[in-house]
Amino acid sequence: MKKIALTIMIGAIAMAFTTMNISIKIKGSDTVLPVSQKEAEVFMKKNAGANISVVGGGSGVGFAALIDGTTDIAMASRSIKFSEKQKLSDAGKAYKEVKIGFDALSVIVNPQNKISQLTREQLEGIFTGKTTNWKEVGGEDMKIVVYSRESSSGTFEFFKEHVLKNKNYASSIMMMPATGAIVQSVSQTKGAIGYVGLAYIENNVKALKVSYDKGKSFITPSMATAKDKTYPITRPLFYYYLSTSEKKVKPFVDFILSSEGQKILEQVGYVPLQ
Amino acid sequence: MKIMKTKNYLKVIYAIAVMLLLGNMAFAQETNPTDTLTDHVKKLNDDVSFLKKIQFSGYILAQYQSIDSAGAGSTEFYKSVGNVKNQFALREARIKLVYNGNLSQYVFQFDATERGVAIKDMYAKFTEPWLKTVSLTVGHMNRPFGFEIGYSSGDRESPERARMSQTIFPSERDLGAMLTFQAPKTSKWNPLKLEMGLYNGTGGANAAGTNLEFDSKKDFIGHLTYNKSLKNEKLNFGVGVSYYNGGWRDGSTDKYDMNNIAGVEQFVKTSNTSFIGSITKREYYGVDAQVNMDLPWGLATLRGEYITGSQPGTSSSSTSPQTAPTSTSNVTTKVVVPNGNYNKTKDTTYTVATGATTTTASPVYNRNFNGGYFYFIQNIAKTKFQVTVKYDWYDPNTKISGKQIGVKNSNTSSADIKYSTLGLGLAYKWDNNIKITAYYAMVQNEVTLLKGYEHEIPDNVFTLRLQYKF
Repeated sequence: MKKIALTIMIGAIAMAFTTMNISIKIKGSDTVLPVSQKEAEVFMKKNAGANISVVGGGSGVGFAALIDGTTDIAMASRSIKFSEKQKLSDAGKAYKEVKIGFDALSVIVNPQNKISQLTREQLEGIFTGKTTNWKEVGGEDMKIVVYSRESSSGTFEFFKEHVLKNKNYASSIMMMPATGAIVQSVSQTKGAIGYVGLAYIENNVKALKVSYDKGKSFITPSMATAKDKTYPITRPLFYYYLSTSEKKVKPFVDFILSSEGQKILEQVGYVPLQ
Repeated sequence: MKIMKTKNYLKVIYAIAVMLLLGNMAFAQETNPTDTLTDHVKKLNDDVSFLKKIQFSGYILAQYQSIDSAGAGSTEFYKSVGNVKNQFALREARIKLVYNGNLSQYVFQFDATERGVAIKDMYAKFTEPWLKTVSLTVGHMNRPFGFEIGYSSGDRESPERARMSQTIFPSERDLGAMLTFQAPKTSKWNPLKLEMGLYNGTGGANAAGTNLEFDSKKDFIGHLTYNKSLKNEKLNFGVGVSYYNGGWRDGSTDKYDMNNIAGVEQFVKTSNTSFIGSITKREYYGVDAQVNMDLPWGLATLRGEYITGSQPGTSSSSTSPQTAPTSTSNVTTKVVVPNGNYNKTKDTTYTVATGATTTTASPVYNRNFNGGYFYFIQNIAKTKFQVTVKYDWYDPNTKISGKQIGVKNSNTSSADIKYSTLGLGLAYKWDNNIKITAYYAMVQNEVTLLKGYEHEIPDNVFTLRLQYKF
């Protein structure tokens, strides 16, 4: 009897230590969204009492929410802009930046498109509007329908800087509010092309091989090529939070940075830090 | 037989009724709860999208100020009335409403303090739908000259704008129409912006019916800027050049221009009836620059602006007029000396004031001026503190200085005295809404021969301000 009571007591104490009454709001990058959702799910299973909500909208939306105080963590696929730093400073808010992993940005086309690889220069021509028909890049005689993220997206900025070398997107491009919308549109339109994070690639779209050496070698976007850095379009992913929120968010951030959290990140389709 | 037929009829009717009932139930079940929810969400989205087009914002600046000597007055000491050494004041209390259409914008902002209610912004802006590069703004708006004019008091680190800005642009705003040329954010030309407008030139209307156009002369203002951040987001900079070409209708036959006569710099009068109705020129050239840096010890800003040009004024002021400049004098009449008091060597008449006054157009005093300011702003590491150091000067008459002012027959006045101000400020940014600023402005004037200005006037100003912004 005494043993049973002792066991129950120890169990209750153990539960008290693992029960964590925290509520965290995470908002921002659509690219980071899938990994945040998965990490949050596992974290909440391990920590009864933890309540984490995750919402996308784009890196810019996340930073705006951090400035306004309507999110605890801003997830971002780009680093914070100067104007955003200024707004945080004007509000008397100090922030912290944590790198949580890497993403391979993939260019996708409809599975029926015969094209399977493009050079960076060809991608630049397509997304800036200079190349308008697939036959110009070795494909069918078919109009190219280009999809992009909106300007509030970190992915939009990263693609413009690293693939388009800061040239402007064509004005005829369709700007989509979310990564999922790009996947859906490309999967339903034969002549479509777009770009998404590696984690978003499904069977209904085809990821192209990309060459950054004018066609000498083409690399497929994958976990392996992102890890060994042979795939040229990779970028860091970030969490930003206010210094005043550190105590609250630290358990979750530490979990993501732990070996278990990094393993989950890899399983979802991102490249771990190590 | 009849009974059998009736029973058959009843069976048929019964079967039809059951079929109809089942059909209704099936139809009801086709209404999917998910579709209903989707409809609700869509409606909510539409409502939210509309509400997001409307933005309310505002701020209140409540302050305590003290000046070294009562009645000294200063552009740093906000609009004191009478012989006071300190005051509480609501420097500004603003409400701003913005409606953002697809390619249009309506802005309404007013200011309501113990000194009255004043219209600040009241304008509409339209952008063309083809290139989304050219916009037209019409109404009551900030003049597009330099940096400080358009920089909101809610953001500005010092309590007041530089003396020069307050003098040549006594009200930041004016009535007019402006074209803006700026490529969309996705364009590589977006960092470049050109603003050009035509304005009444009288400055903004403070209350109903004030500062209306009085001379049909429209003033041109142009401002070209380039603003960019480095790729590493560690530095942001902006540069700009400005030009003002305007003037106001002269109502007087007399004009005063600076000239050197017998080694004395002085205002020399020219008289001509053709001066009446002519436009007296107001022309400014300005440059401005800002650098914002993300340094290891905190965000820092260096900001500067320089303006020079020709500024027509009156004998007692170089401030840009907001109404037609006039001067008031006593009406006099000649009186004949009565018999017995007549003195041959003197005039036979003398004048007495009747007690009445007459108002005439003030003669124009043309001055060449220059002025400027420099700010250094440092946020202290990751703390909520911010330090500001500001230096500004205004020389209303560059052709004369120091003890040349007030020389006999020079026709110079306090309007020709150069001022420089060094300000030190410390701000505490409590949160998104609240900021507390303590600021000390050390004002220095040229020492002249003018009575009251033979020495440095004790007019340093201390300001303690609380700002609430939303």
